[in-house]
Amino acid sequence: MNDDYLWDKSGEPDPQVQELEEILGSLRYQPKPFEIPRDVPVSTRRKYFPLLAIAATLLVALLVAGVWFRMRTSNNSQPQQARVPEAPPAEKVVVPVEHEQTPEPEKNNLVINRKHRSRPSAVVLAKREREEREEALAAKEQLMVALRLASEKLNLAHRRAQGFPANQIKNQHRVG
Amino acid sequence: MSATLDMLLTTQSGTERAAAPPDTPVEAVLVRAVLEGDREGFGQLYGLYAPLVHGILLARVPRAEVDDLVQDIFLHAYKKLHTLREAAAFGPWIAMIARNRAVDFHRRSKETVEINDELRGSDTHDSKAAEILELIRSLPEAYRETLVLRLVEGMTGPEIAERTGLTAASVRVNLHRGMKLLRERLGFMEGL
Repeated sequence: MNDDYLWDKSGEPDPQVQELEEILGSLRYQPKPFEIPRDVPVSTRRKYFPLLAIAATLLVALLVAGVWFRMRTSNNSQPQQARVPEAPPAEKVVVPVEHEQTPEPEKNNLVINRKHRSRPSAVVLAKREREEREEALAAKEQLMVALRLASEKLNLAHRRAQGFPANQIKNQHRVG
Repeated sequence: MSATLDMLLTTQSGTERAAAPPDTPVEAVLVRAVLEGDREGFGQLYGLYAPLVHGILLARVPRAEVDDLVQDIFLHAYKKLHTLREAAAFGPWIAMIARNRAVDFHRRSKETVEINDELRGSDTHDSKAAEILELIRSLPEAYRETLVLRLVEGMTGPEIAERTGLTAASVRVNLHRGMKLLRERLGFMEGL
């Protein structure tokens, strides 16, 4: 069957469709005027949308700032003991020797503060260790010289007390 | 239903609309005009789309309620026109409002109005129309709306596709299958 008439009213009319059109045409829409009540406002585009967007952005920024500030203050006010286990073990190795003998709270502070610092690289650590060793060796040398001098002076005083000549040195032993 | 942009440009309030490009759909021009405060523009939209809304409602709700619902739907559309994102999609938009309103109507009310319909159909021709409409309403939803728009409102298939936003192919299939089903059911009716 050709559906052209049913589709766009072209071609040979289908008598059954025509009859249906005639009968059902009595139910067709009858044009009526459309009155918009006076109290109904004219639908316009929302002109305050940019303002809303700005307000929303400010609100979000304030919220983020508030959360950040709260987190920061809570970090400072929390008991420091609770933070100790979170410190990585490698950090404790880095702590200089003189700080290990400080009282416990100070040590914890150091660990907490070190958490926020950037870790030194291995090269820097090795260099620092080498410098410390050299300083220790130099200090040891100075100490040995001082001890040797003190020993010489003691021997001299002992000989003078026993009546030996000042330039005769016996039983001299090396220290170190 | 065959309004063109040229026709609209000759109207009194068409001075602002003349700036629109020639390919702009009529609906888009009118919607923009209404959003700028032109009340008459909405009257023209009503004239263009009232048959569509009437047909959609006639396929779903009792006849006695259709006219009032058409007015309600256009008033609602007027208030909410600023929420329409694409001005050219006014047809599919108001068609969807009409379908939703029909669903709401059935949720809120009982079928008591149907009796009034039958009482009103004292004329033989009118009662036959009501009877056929009832048959169409008993068809699947996809077919009944298309058939009412074609047989009652007198729209062609391409017009139905353009105004409802459906593809021409699906409208054609719905018309063909719906008509086939309707013919089968009409076979049991006498005098047709």
